Amino acid sequence: MAIIKVKTGGITADAVTDALIADDVVGTEHLTANEVDTAALGADAVTGAQLADNAVNSEHYTDGSIDTAHIADAQITAAKLASGVGEITEVDMWRLTTGYSGASDITSNWERADTDNFAVLGTGLSQSSGIFTFPSTGYYLITFIANFVRNGDDRGMGAGIKLTTNNSSYSDLAFSSTFIQQTESDATTASASVNAIAHCTDVSNVKISFNAGGAGTNTNGNTGFQETGFTCVKLADT
Amino acid sequence: MRPTHIEDYLISLHTGQWFGWSDSKNKVYANLIIHDDTKDKPSESDCTNGLATLQSNFDTAETNATNKKASGKAKLKELGLDDAEIKALINA
Repeated sequence: MAIIKVKTGGITADAVTDALIADDVVGTEHLTANEVDTAALGADAVTGAQLADNAVNSEHYTDGSIDTAHIADAQITAAKLASGVGEITEVDMWRLTTGYSGASDITSNWERADTDNFAVLGTGLSQSSGIFTFPSTGYYLITFIANFVRNGDDRGMGAGIKLTTNNSSYSDLAFSSTFIQQTESDATTASASVNAIAHCTDVSNVKISFNAGGAGTNTNGNTGFQETGFTCVKLADT
Repeated sequence: MRPTHIEDYLISLHTGQWFGWSDSKNKVYANLIIHDDTKDKPSESDCTNGLATLQSNFDTAETNATNKKASGKAKLKELGLDDAEIKALINA
């Protein structure tokens, strides 16, 4: 049988149908460069194997589309966090400016530390008549130190933190005590320190106050440095 | 510790936080304030004289302590103790 060679000019436009092409014979050399468009690709047809390594950039992600399931465990390092995320947001420091004698709630002569380069971080606590209000709800670490002096003996003096949850009645949150036994026949010093976590769930009702001293003993105040005073650090939101 | 400020005198007058300073960085008499209405504000001369009395009492006590130590040591020596023995006894 004679072989008929059909030249390109003998085929009309669009005459070669899909049925006239054998399966799996069209190689990529028959495709015009950049000619395979989106419509020619089936849905979900491009698999990971078709993607070159390190080729998919963030411009190809839909905004906000990376969900938790697509982040492997323990993959977010500190370097990936924006500045301020996860950092301490509240640091404050207050002190008693003026000494007094006896055991007493400390209702006056408070000042925010203003020496040695201290500056409040965040909003800070507010104070009125020795009642301290938190700037926001959360967990706060309170560390209170009181220094005492007495020219004699005192078998009991202390420092305490009180907390109210109804802006009215206070109970002891923490208390620490110490004693003075006179040394070298002169005024002798001692200190008591205490710390606690205050959980503020309502800034209008959860507040703290302080007390310190002992009968016949002086509690020291100082405006130049922390002698009797406290620090407050917010650890976390509630 | 030798009293050095009128605050030392004021603390000795009453217990509690009965006084303070309008400017805690400048604790002079003019800035003295009274928190407790039941307490009278002492005069400036009261404060000055009161501090002087505290200082005098402190100095007298210091002098007496020093003199008593010296006289005690002398009496121990008269009893025949040497310096090493006295020091072992009273650290003097």
